[in-house]
Amino acid sequence: MNRSLLISTSLHIFFILFTAMSLPFLAKKPIDLPPMVSIELIQITDKTNIPFAPKAKKIIEKIKEKEKKLVSEQAPPKKVKKIKPDAVPMPEDITKKVEKIKEDKQNPEKIDNEVKQVSEFEKKELFDPNNIAALIDKSKVEKAETTKTTDKITQDQQKNVDLSGLSLSEEDALKAQIFGCWSIPLGLPYNENLLVRIKLQLNPDGTVVQSEILDHARMNKPGQGFYKVLAESALRAIKLCQPLRVPSTGYERWKELQLNFDAREMLEG
Amino acid sequence: MLRILLIFYFFMLPLKVFALIEVDITRGNLNPLPIAVSPLSIDETSRQSFEKILKKKNIGAEISLVVEKNLKASGLFNPLNKDAFLQKPDIANLKPRFEDWNLIKAQALITGKVNIFEEKLRVEFRLWDVLAGKEMMALAFTTVPNNWRRVGHIITDKVYERLTGEKGYFDTRIIYVSEEGPKTRRIKKLAIMDQDGANNKFLTLGNELVLTPRFNPTSQMVTYLSYFKNLPRVYLLDVETGMQEVVGDFPGMTFAPRFSPDGKKIIMSFAKDGNSDIYTMDLENRIVEKITNHPSIDTSPSFSPDGKYIAFNSDRSGYQQIYVMRSDGKNVKRISFGKGLYGTPVWSPRGDLIAFTKLHKGKFYIGVMRTDGSGERLLTENFYQEAPSWSPNGRVLIFYRETKTDSKGEGFSAKLWSIDLTGYNERLVKTPTDASDPSWSSLLSN
Amino acid sequence: MKLNKILKNVFLVTVACIMLSACATSKKTTGQMQGDVYTGKDTVEYLASGVPDRVFFATNESVLTTASRETLRKQAAWLRKNSKINIVLEGHADERGTREYNLALGERRANAAKDYLMTYGISSNRISVLSYGKERPVDSGSNPLAWSKNRRSVSVKAN
Repeated sequence: MNRSLLISTSLHIFFILFTAMSLPFLAKKPIDLPPMVSIELIQITDKTNIPFAPKAKKIIEKIKEKEKKLVSEQAPPKKVKKIKPDAVPMPEDITKKVEKIKEDKQNPEKIDNEVKQVSEFEKKELFDPNNIAALIDKSKVEKAETTKTTDKITQDQQKNVDLSGLSLSEEDALKAQIFGCWSIPLGLPYNENLLVRIKLQLNPDGTVVQSEILDHARMNKPGQGFYKVLAESALRAIKLCQPLRVPSTGYERWKELQLNFDAREMLEG
Repeated sequence: MLRILLIFYFFMLPLKVFALIEVDITRGNLNPLPIAVSPLSIDETSRQSFEKILKKKNIGAEISLVVEKNLKASGLFNPLNKDAFLQKPDIANLKPRFEDWNLIKAQALITGKVNIFEEKLRVEFRLWDVLAGKEMMALAFTTVPNNWRRVGHIITDKVYERLTGEKGYFDTRIIYVSEEGPKTRRIKKLAIMDQDGANNKFLTLGNELVLTPRFNPTSQMVTYLSYFKNLPRVYLLDVETGMQEVVGDFPGMTFAPRFSPDGKKIIMSFAKDGNSDIYTMDLENRIVEKITNHPSIDTSPSFSPDGKYIAFNSDRSGYQQIYVMRSDGKNVKRISFGKGLYGTPVWSPRGDLIAFTKLHKGKFYIGVMRTDGSGERLLTENFYQEAPSWSPNGRVLIFYRETKTDSKGEGFSAKLWSIDLTGYNERLVKTPTDASDPSWSSLLSN
Repeated sequence: MKLNKILKNVFLVTVACIMLSACATSKKTTGQMQGDVYTGKDTVEYLASGVPDRVFFATNESVLTTASRETLRKQAAWLRKNSKINIVLEGHADERGTREYNLALGERRANAAKDYLMTYGISSNRISVLSYGKERPVDSGSNPLAWSKNRRSVSVKAN
């Protein structure tokens, strides 16, 4: 009994040791995976100067000519922008691109003078980052001003406040229109502040003269990449919805309008 | 200047009677963003060279197709039908006619070109905001021709990041267990594939049972459970060299392995005398540490991304629940308090959520909760499903689900599924065989 | 010391017996199941004539039932007679649980059987334990009866 037990135990131990020490898959085929060649990422330029496709070029030239005329005829250059409705100022794409290994010196397209002008025209429409500070200050002043105004009105006469706003049905019409146009980017973090305030200057027909993001500084803050994405989506919504469904009367009331886009409710719910 | 402006404003003040009207926009549509993926243009000589090397007629169009499928699968984009495109792919050299793309309701546009350059594949692509009429991004890649699918994945990652504000998850792989045969004698093999199901490869032959493979942070190593010689042990596998080794020298079954976020340790369960506890082993100095010491079952450990905490599964309350403790095993707190049993906690790469499997009244759910157990959200319900694994950006979960193939409950099939964190966009991830236990790699290129 | 341990185990088993029998009376016996423990013979194989090879468990439990203990006593007697035979106890769980937890649960079930065999004098050297969790069901069905057959610990001859 004892002897057999001993033999059995020692055999067992041998067996366990044997199995523990020999590794599995001795007869395995080597694993055949594609080589992990790293991909070289080359940044082309911050802002490409490639020419417009021919048709677009003509259009822009036409607009340019009109602009010249308009500039001479009418003093405020802002009015021009209603002719080219997609000229809402957009932030310059100044996100730092990761993985730039080297500047691409091979960008094959040389720009002739004419095209360069075209791109300058474009540039003029774009948002100048140097102006951000000024704009923020402006928005601050604006805000201070609004609060003061409201204060004053409340002191004087409460009815005036109602007159100055949109009626419920007017507001609903505008809201309903923009709901349809605004595709909320689904990739946003749902636990962050997702409010984008955009100030609009409108024409009587509801087209947008100018749109301005009020918290512009936040766009390029590190870790706030999602905010830029959200702001861009809001600007796209406004563009898609043009002309906005504004009341037929009282232009003076709503020629300036602030839209507060808040995605949180949608993403949380 | 500013001062003058200010004074000016103050003078204007009394004249201005109307307050600025504010309208709150709190709703929008959650429709995917319409995007046009113009096929990458290719010159004739490059096209012919690639046709020879890769046996693909038009590699430019193939890469675009990869991008398009990825974008579609994300659920956040709606790639438009190419038949409606008014502009030809050769626009790669030109600024697009935005009004043409506006006409087909595209809000974003991807253009680009492919050519051969010193025997290598060179791809340039640009992303355009159609409504604003401006370029959002321009990048070029050079790589060996065989990597063309990865170029498509990287382009998708860049576009995704630019348009959603968070990192992508397309240049990634998934390791999983391939399953074949009847349930009572299931043959299981380790398999690896690209995130979109391409390039599927089997890593083991199926001679022994293998379970629960998991990637390390660099996605080069995999830890898994193998029943080699009927001794269930945690193994380590180098995906590139095929080298394998047993993890640790435990006198019994080790299982439920995962890497620590720095990749230096493996955390797992060791079962002895009817009691499973959690251990870590340092892969450099082979030092083994016992983390939990409790007569109950402690298993399915998962580190927080900062390495400071461990979520795990224990039945110390009598039933399977999720607990969180410090990485030294102290300060154990139960976090799951809902009705039912909870298992397989997995900490999200963003650190804010824990994904889990829940069993309640005969149903299995995949859900997420905050790390303190609050805010539980169940994403999907089914007869049987488990084992969520996070995409590297913490946006998508992949898991596996078993479904019956006939009404008697006889046949069954196990497949991988993915679902967005919002609970939308549930999709089948195609695999050549039945599949289970998926693990998502990190981004292969950064 | 050893005697003490055996006495302790016997005491525990008796207590468990009494508790379980109390439970059992309140549970319905439906066909091949008592409560949700399988009592049928369909899947049972025999180590020798009259020595069933497996015992069954309730959902999420690793407590031995009266029938299980009877089976294990038969196994112990047979093992004492055939002292050259070693066994592997394979613990299993049903599919209604997460994979990793079920691996631990299978191990716990096999160990419950092992402990009982040891109280009947079988040396722990002769018993090894292996858990398959839910990986090796005997019945591939997805119904309570199939699950009850799969919640088991099987004694397998190792040599």
